[in-house]
Amino acid sequence: MSEGKYPINLWVNEERYAKLQAAGLADMCKEAMAGLKVIYVYANDAQKDKILQVIPQAKFDSATTKSIELIPRKQKDKIFDLVIQKKSIDVLDDFLKTF
Amino acid sequence: MAAIGHGRKPIVERILEPAEAVKKIQGLPQVPIRSQIANEVIGISYGFFSPLEGFMNSADVDSVCKKMRLASGVVWSIPIVFDMSDAEIGKYGITPGKSVVLTYMGNPMALFEVEEIFTYDKKEMAQAIYGTTEDKHPGCARTYKYAEKFIGGKITLVNRPKINEPYGPYFITPLEMRKKFEERGWKRIVAHQTRNVPHTGHEWLMKGAWSQTYAELPIDKPYVGVLVNAIIGEKRKGDYIDEAIILTQDELRKSGYFGDHNHLTSLTFWDMRYAGPKEAVFHSILRTNLGLTHHMFGRDHAGVGTYYGAYDAHNLLATIQDELDITPVYSMNWLYCPHCGEVTSEGLCNHKSEWQKFSGTLIRSIVDDGVKPPRLIFRPEVFDLVMECAEKYGFGSPFVTDEYLEKRTPVFSIEPLKA
Ligand SMILES: [Zn+2]
Repeated sequence: MSEGKYPINLWVNEERYAKLQAAGLADMCKEAMAGLKVIYVYANDAQKDKILQVIPQAKFDSATTKSIELIPRKQKDKIFDLVIQKKSIDVLDDFLKTF
Repeated sequence: MAAIGHGRKPIVERILEPAEAVKKIQGLPQVPIRSQIANEVIGISYGFFSPLEGFMNSADVDSVCKKMRLASGVVWSIPIVFDMSDAEIGKYGITPGKSVVLTYMGNPMALFEVEEIFTYDKKEMAQAIYGTTEDKHPGCARTYKYAEKFIGGKITLVNRPKINEPYGPYFITPLEMRKKFEERGWKRIVAHQTRNVPHTGHEWLMKGAWSQTYAELPIDKPYVGVLVNAIIGEKRKGDYIDEAIILTQDELRKSGYFGDHNHLTSLTFWDMRYAGPKEAVFHSILRTNLGLTHHMFGRDHAGVGTYYGAYDAHNLLATIQDELDITPVYSMNWLYCPHCGEVTSEGLCNHKSEWQKFSGTLIRSIVDDGVKPPRLIFRPEVFDLVMECAEKYGFGSPFVTDEYLEKRTPVFSIEPLKA
């Protein structure tokens, strides 16, 4: 079986977009769902399992979108700040170290 | 013309007018009931559960478990039972042949003519209905919570529920429903089962089903309606609050995505069992009693976890189609295709690698991140109304919280009975 790749959708609101622009990272955004800006941070199987374990509210939407959802805003802000800091979407190991 | 319900039996309301009711219940022992039972009392009395006239006796329960039929032979898929502990049976003096009055919120609700006290193996029941005995299946868990004895007997409502705002317009009984359809001139009506605030995926499911149902009918006048029938019952934390569900469903009509000519919103009181295929059969029965001709079913209808295959419900329905007077309409999912620039059906568009699927959960994550979802996937009027409901009914949240569970306005109340 190939390694899973499960997105966490960081929806880019105005505040997040301003931070991205300030860091010169605005082009990290992808467009989704007819006009939304989003940054996809992908989890592998191990990271997905760890996230679901340490953030009990989080849910893997196995039926439709195959994405990790319902991560509280605060935690998503932490992931987003790490993206800015590292200028990369490869931040989940760092994020998980904070638990 | 008599209103004909499931099993081709006429729908008969089992309701006493107050003056007679007061006399009938005088001196009878009073037995308090919980919300699930009160919901089912309403289901029985108004004919939502026709041809049931009361809570099932052992012959019906056994036949439903073993043959998916009532003892009379009419198709029925989920036991409707009244449970009670031995201690309570003693305390209230429950005896076959004697009636008691069921009370809810401290007031008389229904006359219960006790016919039989019996036991039934709960594991057997769970296996028969849910196809599993695992207590993490919510239907099994509900079954295991039943007290040790079951009581069968006829139910007659003695006190009509007062439907509280904002639900008033949406409680439409089977007999009233038929009048509404007649007024609108609808020849076919398709049911949309829901417990959700609608996104455009849901909206297009309804629009697609409307189209499938319309089929060969003439187009000189509107002949087909969609009936949204929201299931209102036990809430779990994190569900959308009931007010948001019912009002946003209706908002699709009010805001013109549908209109009076093709859309009506209503509710049924029922605690979901998540019985998948068996629940699909139950929903068919319920909506037949509401006077509908067609019923939408998606993949894994009323399922939970991975207990049922995507098409199990469709296959089970096919085995009894001749005995059901409602035609299933099967729905494929709708999704956003950036190439088409629209919400489209997975059965139509072939830009598979570009598809962006969305769900209620995904939309929730957009909102949680402080972003307004685009109108192509979530209607702005629906979004605004969800936010309004959060303030007005949800103690700040559109989702069920402990505070909501504790302080919400009940959907219906039973008030003191006055002759
Ligand atoms: Zn396309």
